[in-house]
Amino acid sequence: MAEPTGAVFDLGYKPYEGERLGRSGAIRAMVKDGVRRVMGLRRKARRKVYPWTLVVFAVVPAAVFVGLAFIWGSFAPDADSPFGGIAEYLGWSGAMVMLFVALAAPELLIPDREEGVLAVYSSRPLTAGDYIAARIGALFSVVASFMLLPNLLMYVGLAALDSRGLGAALLGDVDDLARVLATMLAYIVGYGAPALLIATYLKRTGPAAGTYLAVMFGSAAFAEAFQRIDFVGARFGTMLSLLQHPEIIRNWVFDQPQEAAPTAAGFEPWASAIAIAVMGVATIYLMHRRYRREL
Amino acid sequence: MPDSLSGSTGISLALMTAPAISAHNLGHAYGDVVALHHLDVEVPTGRIGLVGANGAGKTTLIKILLGILHPTTGGVQVLGNDPAEDVVAVRNRIGYMPEGFCLPAAQSAADFVSYAAELAGIPPQESRQRASDILTMVGLHEERFRYLGDFSTGMKQRAMLAQAIVHDPEIVFLDEPTAGLDPAGREEMLELISRLGGFGINVLVSSHVLPDIERTCDWVVMLDGGQVLRNGPLSGLTETNIVELEVIDNVDLLTAELTRLGATVETHGNVIVLNTVDADPFVLARDALATTGAPLRRMGARSTTLEDIFLGEAPDG
Repeated sequence: MAEPTGAVFDLGYKPYEGERLGRSGAIRAMVKDGVRRVMGLRRKARRKVYPWTLVVFAVVPAAVFVGLAFIWGSFAPDADSPFGGIAEYLGWSGAMVMLFVALAAPELLIPDREEGVLAVYSSRPLTAGDYIAARIGALFSVVASFMLLPNLLMYVGLAALDSRGLGAALLGDVDDLARVLATMLAYIVGYGAPALLIATYLKRTGPAAGTYLAVMFGSAAFAEAFQRIDFVGARFGTMLSLLQHPEIIRNWVFDQPQEAAPTAAGFEPWASAIAIAVMGVATIYLMHRRYRREL
Repeated sequence: MPDSLSGSTGISLALMTAPAISAHNLGHAYGDVVALHHLDVEVPTGRIGLVGANGAGKTTLIKILLGILHPTTGGVQVLGNDPAEDVVAVRNRIGYMPEGFCLPAAQSAADFVSYAAELAGIPPQESRQRASDILTMVGLHEERFRYLGDFSTGMKQRAMLAQAIVHDPEIVFLDEPTAGLDPAGREEMLELISRLGGFGINVLVSSHVLPDIERTCDWVVMLDGGQVLRNGPLSGLTETNIVELEVIDNVDLLTAELTRLGATVETHGNVIVLNTVDADPFVLARDALATTGAPLRRMGARSTTLEDIFLGEAPDG
């Protein structure tokens, strides 16, 4: 029989006496978890397909624009070019954002409830408000990157090719960047809030994503119908158009012609800004009402 | 530790150490349905069993301790903090293994338990190390990189226990920790729970499986219909002053002698069951056997179980 050459020690349980980051550390951990979850990171491969496909669709055209400008010096992504300008590109990014949040918002909220993970949060230094803030923070971080990354790529890439020089072009077009940020915020809140609200109340991710898309497109169809109906107060029905409010803000910020139902019914663009803000606040309120019973 | 204390609601305990949990006039109702009815109870640190039938109010009490539900009357303190007043202070010091599952199917055990540690404020690098250590301790070292959705029921229960203690809480609430486990899995889980006290973690085990509480706890709170039925150290609750002895003959003679010495006696054939109020029943039996010379076949203490007490079948119950 061979002589033993080693020994196994049962180290048992060790109390933790190191640093604790407290509530803020817990919230940061939740935001990081949310980002990983919606992007399918550290998950099975099939969970990565949908989000990363949309990222490619959102970012690749911007890289193509910069490449075209490099190859074909006279190319510029403006309204006269065959590919449209920054406003049109934001519209494209916005469409990608809507498709993204359709699945990302349910993925962030529903498994926590349906798989009982909220019970774990209820034994950590967190409140319902912290949970909601962290989940919204995760969605905002991803979607903002989604919209900002391609626009920053175009902003810096085209400035690098500009005849004025990089620094002068960056400074000269900085107002474009401000407009992009304002429009981005409208898209994130306008499209993100309804997705979160639906995910707060439905129990399965697939039906929640389907319901969200139906509500968004259905609301636009209703708004168009209200625009055509001739009775007192019908014009207020056009404000139900969840799909069109961010587009109205985009056209307002970039001085584009307005064609959406609410503006056609006589509402000024700031009414859409108010509608988006109200939707955001109402979503946070209703989420808190729902989650304070479980956290 | 104080002597055994029993009774219904309104128990007042003179605890030698600061109580782990104290409730005063605690009540909770879901609409018209009263789940907890004016509970007055204090329990010490250690391993505490919370027993009662389904619907007795165990889970409601745990949810109040966690700060999820608020009392409709009275109040409660966990390690000196009131969850209704400062829920974060309480949650900084506790762990919780809920009834039913609390595991995301799409995450690996290592990722989730590490995340559970980060949620308690432990930095990411230390969290990963602790997750690995705790998963090893609960017997999931080999499986730690598998997705939780692929785990068996027993493995899930162990992963749930791991998330409940990974952040080194001062007290952990275990709600029906053996539910759904096969006999081998149940044994392993009870063994793990028994070890927690040695790690310096106080434990509140909620269960309707009374033998599980007898195996793992040293203090028991018994709930029935939202009220405290019993509350005290387990040894005091299950010990009785009854001795059962069997003799080969001279039954009548021995019975008469035991009665003369002050015992209450029942006979069933050659078996004599004696009960005493003040005296040690073994001493009485020894003296009576010596006096009568009755030949003894066997003798032993009769202990009662939590189940006997709960069903009101215990001789003193």
